[in-house]
Amino acid sequence: MKILIIEDEPGLAQSIGTYLSAQDYLCEYAGNWAQAREKVELYRYDCILLDLMLPGGDGMDILETLKKQGQQDGVIIISAKGDYEHKIRGLHAGADDYLAKPFHLPELAARIYSVIRRRSFGNHNSITQNELKVDLLSKTVTVNGLIVVLTKKELDLLLFFIGNKNRVIAKSALAEHLSGDIADMFDNHDFVYAHVKNLKKKLGEAGYGNYLKTVYGTGYKWEG
Amino acid sequence: MGRMKKLLDQSLRPLIVYALAVLLISIPVYFLIIDWIWENELDKHHYAIREKLEKRLTRLNLPDTAVGDMIAVLDKVQPGFSFSETAAPRPDSLYTIIRFDTFMNDREQFRCLVTDIRVNSRLYRVLIETNMEEIDETILAIAAVTVFFIMLLLAGFIYLNRKTALRIWQPFYGTLTSLRAFRLESGRTVSLPPSQVTEFADLNASLESLMDSSLASYRQQREFTENASHELQTPLAIVKSKLDMLLQSQSLDAAQLQTVEEVYQAINRVSRINKNLLLLARIEHAQFEGTEQVALGDMLVALAAQFEDRFENNSLHYSQSIEALYVQTNPMLVEILLTNLLVNAVRYTPAGGKIDVRLDVGSLTVSNTGTEALQEQNLFKRFAQASGQHAGSGLGLAITREICDRYGWQIGYRFADGVHHFSVRF
Repeated sequence: MKILIIEDEPGLAQSIGTYLSAQDYLCEYAGNWAQAREKVELYRYDCILLDLMLPGGDGMDILETLKKQGQQDGVIIISAKGDYEHKIRGLHAGADDYLAKPFHLPELAARIYSVIRRRSFGNHNSITQNELKVDLLSKTVTVNGLIVVLTKKELDLLLFFIGNKNRVIAKSALAEHLSGDIADMFDNHDFVYAHVKNLKKKLGEAGYGNYLKTVYGTGYKWEG
Repeated sequence: MGRMKKLLDQSLRPLIVYALAVLLISIPVYFLIIDWIWENELDKHHYAIREKLEKRLTRLNLPDTAVGDMIAVLDKVQPGFSFSETAAPRPDSLYTIIRFDTFMNDREQFRCLVTDIRVNSRLYRVLIETNMEEIDETILAIAAVTVFFIMLLLAGFIYLNRKTALRIWQPFYGTLTSLRAFRLESGRTVSLPPSQVTEFADLNASLESLMDSSLASYRQQREFTENASHELQTPLAIVKSKLDMLLQSQSLDAAQLQTVEEVYQAINRVSRINKNLLLLARIEHAQFEGTEQVALGDMLVALAAQFEDRFENNSLHYSQSIEALYVQTNPMLVEILLTNLLVNAVRYTPAGGKIDVRLDVGSLTVSNTGTEALQEQNLFKRFAQASGQHAGSGLGLAITREICDRYGWQIGYRFADGVHHFSVRF
């Protein structure tokens, strides 16, 4: 899977690249508008991470060019402009997702995973991992063919873990993912623990192996 | 500061006092002049009579006895005259006297001349007197007339002042009215009524440049906040991503992970403050313009569902009583308002406490249990947290108030029986 990271801040671009590379993504970088334009015209990517404020131009132009040419690359806008109007504008212009800075890398990884799956597999979309199978359309989870009934949040968590296989995920990243905008209003994220515990218990009871690990009580890791 | 005075009244007052003084002084002056004219005229008249009397009597060429008889008759019959024979001449005397007059049956004032006339060789002393207006009555009459004119003058002053001065100052009041509509937040100057008068034109020009520069510095300050917040987002994103990377390191021990977790929390708090600053700047910027009919009840129910985890996490008992209420507003802003009130309640309610949300016709009340009343004067100010022990952004309620101000809603706080009540009147 090829990812293009269009981001002028080298520190951030590098973190994203390193994090994603460990997920078997192949990352390329563009640090300014001209470079981005060139890469987008020459090569195709499964997903493009697009910063809007670039040296030399507006990232929005690149998105519009892509859409005008009818390219199928998935696009996730990563921008410091996190307000509603900008999100709406970005999504309207054809972006698959919009992530406001600052974000957690696992959140980005989960969104990339979801965009790529949506684009590549259409509606017949299921994920299989060992004895676990998730049907993304009907939102059902089965272990060894047995249906496991999960709440919406537990399913959300499961997909988030799968999108961040073998990575340690901070509790606050999970909290932000689960409760969206209101998450960063609070410092205490203990409620995440309850959801993770329930998910583990349900999967365990259905016979799934212990792939979900707690890392010193501050983070979680899905081994697969 | 004392009682406010109107400009027009101020200019009128010395005018009235001056007119009053002049007219009051004029009363004795009038009197003295009239009195002087009277007496002067009467004295001239008396001397003329005296001359005529002396000449006519002398011209008759009567013997002394006949003259004596005639004078005796005149003394008895002629009103205003009295005669007596005298041996030696004496200087004339002129005087004014007030006495009771038996004929008129009243107090009367007389002007008198006592003089001598010589007929043949005999000398007679003559008193001629003429009734004139009494001094007090004269003064009264003059005073009455003067007071009448004072009244006329004052009424005229007030009327003319109202009429002309108001017209003259009209541009000033026009400017004042326009200026009252000026709001820094609107980002627009108000147009001042043009004036042909130099002073008012100057005033308007100065005010216009004052408004322009205020707006410019206000805009600059707003943009500064917005730009500063934007600029902070990127380094924050880097720090956050580096932490996420650090977490992947295999060699971290429990203590180091704990440190990472604490840095996460600090970074989250910075993001939160930054986000709220940005939001506040944007609300002040008069963004979020569009409005629509928003069903507050539905929005509240949906929001409360998002908070379920939080209620559970803090063992809070949540209850709600919601009636249908529709408000014409910007949905984003009202959602922020509701969220902030709920966040506030969750954050400051002690574990095991209660949160109650009540939405009825025209008002929303969010109540939560607490220990003591908060300082109301600081409650809605930026970074002025009313209690020191929690780590909010210090902006939540300031944003809430800003939103309420924008739509003219009233936000209030009260504390009763261990419960904080925040209410918004739509």
